[in-house]
Amino acid sequence: MTTMNNSLDKPVAAPVLAAKPAGAPMLAKILLAALLLLLLAMPGFLSTSLVNAAIQMLIMALFASAFNVLAGQGGMLSFGHAAYFGIGAFATLHAMNAVSGQGLLPTPLLPVFGAIGGAITGLVAGWFSSKRSGVYFSMITLALAELLHALAPHLKSVFGGESGVPSMRMPAWGFTFGTPVEVYYLTLAWVVASLALLFFFTRTPLGRLTLGLRENAHRLKFLGYNVHMARVMVFVISATFTGIAGGLLAMSNEAANYSVFEVRLSSEVVLNSYIGGVGVFFGPALGAAVMTFFGYAVSDLTRSWLLYQGIIFVAVMMFMPNGLSGIVAWWRASKFTGATKLGYVLAWSVGTLLCAAGVVFIVELLQRMLSDDYQFQLVQGQPWPALNLFGQAWLPGAVVTWLLPVALLAIGGVVLKLTSARWQALNDGEAQ
Amino acid sequence: MHKSTQLKFAIAPTLALVAGIVTAAPVKIAVLETLSGPQASTGLLYRTAVKYAIDQMNAAGGWNGEPVQLVDYDNQGGPSGASDKLKAAIADGVQIVVQGASSAVGGQITEDVRKHNLRNPSKEIVYINVGAEALELTGEKCNFHHFRFGGNAQVRTKALVDAMKQANVLGSKVYSINQNYSWGQDMEHAISDNAAAGGYKVVEKALHDVNKIQDFAPYVAKIKASNADTVLTGNWSNDLLLLMKATRAAGLKVRFGTVYLDQPGNVANAGEVAVGHYVVQSFNPEASGAEGERFVTDYKAKTGHMPAFIEPQTVFGMQMVADALKRTKPEAGALNVNAFAKALEAAKVKTSVGEMSMRAADHQALLPMIVSTVTKDAKYKVDATDMGFKPVKRFTAEEAATPVQSSCVMKRPA
Amino acid sequence: MVAMCGKGSSSRTFWNKLMEFFTVSLLNGTIYGLLLFMVSAGLTLIFGMMGVLNFAHTSFYMIGAYLAYSLQKVIGFWPAIIIAPIIVGFLGVIVERFFLRRVHKYGHAHELLVTFGLSFIIAELIKLFFGNYPVNYQVPSSLNFAAFQLFGTDYPFYRLMMGVISLLMFGLIFLLLSRTRVGIVVRSAIYRPKMAEALGHNVPLVFMGVFGVGAGLAGLAGAVAGAFYTTNPNMALELGVLVFVVVVIGGLGSLEGAMVSSILIGLISSFAVGIDLSAADVLGYVGAGEWAQQVGGLLTLKISSLAATIPFALMLLVLLVRPSGLMGEKE
Repeated sequence: MTTMNNSLDKPVAAPVLAAKPAGAPMLAKILLAALLLLLLAMPGFLSTSLVNAAIQMLIMALFASAFNVLAGQGGMLSFGHAAYFGIGAFATLHAMNAVSGQGLLPTPLLPVFGAIGGAITGLVAGWFSSKRSGVYFSMITLALAELLHALAPHLKSVFGGESGVPSMRMPAWGFTFGTPVEVYYLTLAWVVASLALLFFFTRTPLGRLTLGLRENAHRLKFLGYNVHMARVMVFVISATFTGIAGGLLAMSNEAANYSVFEVRLSSEVVLNSYIGGVGVFFGPALGAAVMTFFGYAVSDLTRSWLLYQGIIFVAVMMFMPNGLSGIVAWWRASKFTGATKLGYVLAWSVGTLLCAAGVVFIVELLQRMLSDDYQFQLVQGQPWPALNLFGQAWLPGAVVTWLLPVALLAIGGVVLKLTSARWQALNDGEAQ
Repeated sequence: MHKSTQLKFAIAPTLALVAGIVTAAPVKIAVLETLSGPQASTGLLYRTAVKYAIDQMNAAGGWNGEPVQLVDYDNQGGPSGASDKLKAAIADGVQIVVQGASSAVGGQITEDVRKHNLRNPSKEIVYINVGAEALELTGEKCNFHHFRFGGNAQVRTKALVDAMKQANVLGSKVYSINQNYSWGQDMEHAISDNAAAGGYKVVEKALHDVNKIQDFAPYVAKIKASNADTVLTGNWSNDLLLLMKATRAAGLKVRFGTVYLDQPGNVANAGEVAVGHYVVQSFNPEASGAEGERFVTDYKAKTGHMPAFIEPQTVFGMQMVADALKRTKPEAGALNVNAFAKALEAAKVKTSVGEMSMRAADHQALLPMIVSTVTKDAKYKVDATDMGFKPVKRFTAEEAATPVQSSCVMKRPA
Repeated sequence: MVAMCGKGSSSRTFWNKLMEFFTVSLLNGTIYGLLLFMVSAGLTLIFGMMGVLNFAHTSFYMIGAYLAYSLQKVIGFWPAIIIAPIIVGFLGVIVERFFLRRVHKYGHAHELLVTFGLSFIIAELIKLFFGNYPVNYQVPSSLNFAAFQLFGTDYPFYRLMMGVISLLMFGLIFLLLSRTRVGIVVRSAIYRPKMAEALGHNVPLVFMGVFGVGAGLAGLAGAVAGAFYTTNPNMALELGVLVFVVVVIGGLGSLEGAMVSSILIGLISSFAVGIDLSAADVLGYVGAGEWAQQVGGLLTLKISSLAATIPFALMLLVLLVRPSGLMGEKE
């Protein structure tokens, strides 16, 4: 049997610590400042429902970044991170309810209890999990999370049964925290502060050591480091910030129940991180923001959004293994002119959009055709009635109805294949 | 008075009237359900029923001259998603939120609605609960802006036990098996509470994990060891189906008294196993007379299937909502939710199975119950099988009702 | 069961009941364990060979059930449960060739995540084509009878048949792996893939074959079990994590380990349901019962309520004490 030790550890690209190589710190700083300004100004021009969506996106972005400390930087893929998220949420809720509802600390400071809850759980869980590595590490984290998920419904005093632990934000420091905008700024403040701390962590000696844990733990042991303790410390840091994210969710929703420990949430953070790209610091945050927004926007538009989510995930894993942020690294690494690269990116985008349109068309057609309500309308021997799609009526019997999506797929596929072939030829030509 | 002043006095109210008509805000009703993912089957049924009722409302003229708008929100499977989508619904101007598929989600929504109303005193919203049957929603968590149109564990069990006793199938030893969460625990209490009235002894109580058990044979062994005559359970979906199949496979002759046997797919999947078992329903087409037949035919024509499971109670609940809306006058062209809620407290509707009304003390609707048994000579067959539900006993709303819970202390707006 | 102790029944009745409980739980647990083995056999082989933890494995189980359901309406029960696994095996080959092989070079994490995404896609496609509700896949009436009576309860023949099929499967694969040439090549590809390739064997073909066979086994389990249990779109999720528990406890890559741990888990689940003890009750025997009841929480939970939780605790224990599992190779 092949050795299992580091089989799950290596991400694909060479480790780019913060997507900012020594050559262009100015540009990166400007972009970052612009993003911050945008985030600060957003509530001014966004509708309330988008502000709510933004709060969720920020929380998931922090969750994914904290997860990445362990998975992308430390090379330890954890399948049970929802446990620390959930514990952080419940710790914050209990702190909010303490002192007959007044809260142990003023409202804006309460997520610190999420951090404490996450840290303690992370210490215990990390100590056990880090005794093993590779696949066994992942399985232990999964087992711990599942155990917690199975026990939580029985521990009513702590986790509150299935209606969970309710709470209410109390006014503090002159704000009522009753409107979404205030909650948004509170969340933004915590997320920015946490991300800054996480970034500075990567600059510390322990942060550098984390990369070593991923690359070659054996060698670290020979260099004299206590690998187990190092792993535990990284685990604790990851769990602490995950707990803060959980605490922020608790403050935003003012309640949590044991469904927060589900495998679904643990797997969501893994998905988000890899779609964003684990080799880059802001990759997971980007992936989380995009996928959360996708879920938010599309889940009300179509019943088949989970299918689309699965397809996007598999497609990204197969064709863009470095994730979305890998595009940045690819752009920088390639030596062609900006115009050339832009041309190829556009060509690939067009091809992808055409294929996506074809797939969506077929799936939505099938979904309407196979639904019970439609099937009931069918009468033997008579032609099938028209389906309502994108505001137009399509007849299932008509050739056009099926020809259109197939054509879209075919054209999209051809565009993609041609573009890739030309890119390949271009690169081979350069290499010669 | 000067003529010009008189004119001014006339213009102002006319303008206001015109403005009221011009700025009439149509009422938005949101369905906040699990519309995708593993639990979507029930959520989609709720949506179908609500849509049917709203189409009926609009065919009768809508509200304030405008059609009522139905907006869908997918809570993505859990209370946290429900909380997010509730905020989105509020931001979209929704004033009435309808939900029923999960007591956990219901608990989250009722609390969120309460907090929102507290923080936004003139922009209240109301939660129409058409199916979340956990007792606490009309108990500790009772709330002026929450109205429940489904049953609850106490109401259901009382009717089931009474009917089964009258039909002489209850026996003297009852086995109680339920899912280990609020609904299941409520059912366990209710089964014990009704022991005296039913003249039985609860020989054993079992609580098992929800939707995790594949092999119920060990539980069947326990049922056999206890020598029970009847098994009373609130189980739904797989938990009910697998339990019944395991009982049949072991050749154990026990009668089942259930709450959710009429969930679509159960009878088909259980096959012959289902015959002879009992279920307490909120509607049965065979017990609803000519009016019920019209309802069933109309529903089938508009949605493609007969109203089953939770659909009828949802339609009746929405009919009560329609009744209350009719009696609520618009204020400045928009709906005043508190006025609507007060009207809803007094709503009464004559459905095809009896009269349904709302109890103001805890906002639990008083609805008729029907206990039926699965037989081959039912008038309406289900699930494309040769079996159907034949009514055994009907209960009026008053007969089925159980007292207000002492834990409900409702704060009313001024 | 504990309640019976306190009923003051004669000791002979008590022993009768104990015997009944023991025998019935033993039989139930073993058969349930054999079913688990059918599903996890393929998973452990695939992991042992390719290092890929195939999250889509239980999806193959589900596809097998749905295919058998669709086919049996057309060609009858027995042909359906033979053809359905073959189709699922073929699907497994396609998945390996076109999806996994592409991401193989990016590392095990990526392969794992691709199978994860595939499990989503498969579940949603099944819902698209077959609807959200359970489908009416029943045991055919010719097989729906009692094999024998055990303490007055019928024991269904179909359950025994499932157990027999599972044992046959185990026997066949074991013989295949240990006695045939193909088996030797497969085992060497598991143990030392590069060396086997250097010796001229077509290792990618072996990988494809093993993946296909593994998927086919899961499909067979689904085809057979789907009739007895329910066939619904959440089948994969329901069985999902338990299968991983079985494989980890048994040892990743070990067929014998999977058999031992499946039966172990099956027995534990069956016996636990009948035990209405909690830690507080046990402490009550040493006089600390009242205190334990007051503390509440974990101490008052009955073992029967926790029946589905125990496998996870066991998995954790195994991972910490002996991570290679009961019969896996030492790390």
